[in-house]
Amino acid sequence: MTGARGPLKGRAARLGRLMPARSGPAARTPFVLLVVVLLGGGLISLLMLNSALNQGSFRLRELKDRTTALTDEEQALQRDVDAYAAPDALERRARELGMVPGGSPAFLGPGGTVLGDPEPAPSPEPTPTPTPPPTDAAPDATPSGAPKATGTATPDSGTTPTTPGPGTTPTPPATAPTTSGR
Amino acid sequence: MPSQEPPRRRVPGPARPRPAAGARAPRPAPRPAARRPAPRPPARRPRTLTLGSPRPRLRLISVGLTLVMLVFVVRLLQVQAVDAGAYAAKADKYRFQEYTLSAERGEITDRNGIALATSVDAYDITADPKLFTPEESKVRDAPEQAAALLAPILGKAPADLAKKLRTPKSRYTLLARKQTPQVWNQIKDLKKLYGQKAQAPGGNRVNLLGGVLSEPSTKRVYPNGDLAAGILGYVNAEGRGSGGVESMLDPQLAGRDGTIRFTQSNGRQVPTAGSQGTPAVPGSDIELTIDRDIQWAAQRAITEQVRKSKADRGYVIVQDTRTGEVLAMANAPGFDPNDLSAADAATLGNAALQDAYEPGSTSKVMSMAAVLEEGRAAPDTHVTVPNRLHRGDRLFKDDVDHKTWYLTLNGVLARSSNIGTILATGQLGRTQAESNRVLDDYLRRFGIGSPTGLGFPGETPGILAKPQKWSTSQQYTIPFGQGLSVNALQAASVYSTIANGGVRVAPTLVRGTQGPDGRFTPAPRPAETRVVSEKTATALARMLESVVSEEGTGTKAAIPGYRVAGKTGTANRVDPELGRYKGYTASFAGFAPADKPRVTVYCAIQNPTKGSYFGGQICGPIYKKVMEFALKTLHVAPTGSRPADLPVTFEPTP
Repeated sequence: MTGARGPLKGRAARLGRLMPARSGPAARTPFVLLVVVLLGGGLISLLMLNSALNQGSFRLRELKDRTTALTDEEQALQRDVDAYAAPDALERRARELGMVPGGSPAFLGPGGTVLGDPEPAPSPEPTPTPTPPPTDAAPDATPSGAPKATGTATPDSGTTPTTPGPGTTPTPPATAPTTSGR
Repeated sequence: MPSQEPPRRRVPGPARPRPAAGARAPRPAPRPAARRPAPRPPARRPRTLTLGSPRPRLRLISVGLTLVMLVFVVRLLQVQAVDAGAYAAKADKYRFQEYTLSAERGEITDRNGIALATSVDAYDITADPKLFTPEESKVRDAPEQAAALLAPILGKAPADLAKKLRTPKSRYTLLARKQTPQVWNQIKDLKKLYGQKAQAPGGNRVNLLGGVLSEPSTKRVYPNGDLAAGILGYVNAEGRGSGGVESMLDPQLAGRDGTIRFTQSNGRQVPTAGSQGTPAVPGSDIELTIDRDIQWAAQRAITEQVRKSKADRGYVIVQDTRTGEVLAMANAPGFDPNDLSAADAATLGNAALQDAYEPGSTSKVMSMAAVLEEGRAAPDTHVTVPNRLHRGDRLFKDDVDHKTWYLTLNGVLARSSNIGTILATGQLGRTQAESNRVLDDYLRRFGIGSPTGLGFPGETPGILAKPQKWSTSQQYTIPFGQGLSVNALQAASVYSTIANGGVRVAPTLVRGTQGPDGRFTPAPRPAETRVVSEKTATALARMLESVVSEEGTGTKAAIPGYRVAGKTGTANRVDPELGRYKGYTASFAGFAPADKPRVTVYCAIQNPTKGSYFGGQICGPIYKKVMEFALKTLHVAPTGSRPADLPVTFEPTP
């Protein structure tokens, strides 16, 4: 350093010797500041990154929970639909509405021709009045009512329409456990 | 600045004489105490102690250091190069966490895509009994209290749950398996409630239900209960198929489990490190040829009849005559695959394919096919049927005691005469042995004695001995269906073959699979073989109509408006436990419409003990019921043509 500037003389030399003593601490302050800023900034950005990631993971967790809940709901609803659509359940409800299985099929041709031997379906249970009782009585009627009545009521869908009310009403309970027990 | 100064000024002058080679011995050691502890007598002058040369020490140390370094280097090489893989793997074990992503099991659907078997999420409810001990829970009767809370949710007896929660010295007990997510949610809510209560000012700080936990799992659900249970089968506790289609197509249904691997820190994924692994491949969906509604009708009809007749079991097969597709295969009694614990082990299989039994008269149609195809007789050929017929070592009779019957060949089938069938098949060859061979050839072409080709687990191929080995009585009983065994599908397939103009289409149960990519792969086309000519098949169909006519044995199977072909069967049954003939097998097989067949229905009931045991009486109505339902479901209209009305009897010329 001294060599580059050339020798200083007299007071200047003495002053010049003072210079580095003053410049030393003065130059250190910005450096310290820089380091503090860098460290602090790094710390804060790390903190922010971390919290951003955490926020993401919270959101992920939230969405996962939501997916699970919706899947559960979907599966539960599907279960209900299946229970309603099961042939056993359909048959039971159709009978409650007073429907009976049709006999031999007959077809109506495009020209009005009738294929097959159409015959009126065996008439269902007389009136809709006995319809409500089976739904109420279904659970408790199952053990006692069903086996007793099956002997007379179940031989065929074509059972004579004279069969009294209780004849077909115990039939639904007989099938009920297969759907409800599922 | 200091570098300019001469170094020697800082170095003190030599305090000791320089060591020289050879001058070692006479010089006294500087520190005698260190080098030579005791031997020198104090009388000697201490000044003569000589310094040891540092060179050997240095050498020793450097050798030692080299050795140590060498050990380090060797170890380094071992760690970094030789065993690098093993150590890296060990490190990875802690750095990476690996999870199995379980593949979703495929659905099984019917031919219209209605799910017959599907998988849903479920939870196994477990508990840690240690947390229910009086020390941990601070309550004397924690298990009882918890059991009382859980019992209504889990549907179990409180006493059982309490007993499980009291398991001593255990940290795990399974309270209930495969519960719905709703059940677990209920328990979770209850748990939260008790948690709040425990933290409340008056609480004892211990959550009563804190020890109730759950493990996620999946559950196989059969939405239709026992419908088609025999075909579908069931899965075991690990979720692998162990019966029926579940087992037959398990590799396709199961899919492939995947794995995921991510860098972890304290058990959490490091978000920036990324993860790798293979995704799970979900199982394929299987579409069966079964029609759910027809299956239901068949199952309901047979279940009812089996119960009414107090029979051992019964089967109904519905088959599409043109494609060979099985539309329904019902067993009674069945089981509910949703709750195997309640099922009777004897009913768990698919008896329609797994039972081999003697078919009886329904198999006469094959004898007739042989006779017609060989040109030995025509439907109107006259057969005089005596009351008894002596053949071999036995006296054969028909199932009704009759005077001499004057029947046509058609009448032999319509009246189901054993004697007439023996007489007719006797014409197949010049000798009985030749007749046997010809008949055996036809039986085998109809698929008797060989597997149906479904590949169903536990399926029986039936029993048909080689014709050379037919016993004396067997060669006369096989024509009318005793002395050989079939399964129900084989028997149904015989009628489908006749319905299909004499071409046998191998039965199929699977229509195709839908892969995880959503692409549908149809099942390979079934094999087709011609068994009898179209002419013979048509003649047989007309003859089978007579069975259902007023003259025949199967009047109960008639469907008004339709031309129905069918055949009754009432066989002596070999009791599988006793190993001898006891009881009967009632059966009915047929197809409709007779002149343009679409559907085959086969019904068999094993060992009916109450009421009639004749096939025409108990299986005929089932045939009618199921056939009507199938015709309606498939929209098969009557053909409108007049029935064949072939003559059954003839007037004997005196």
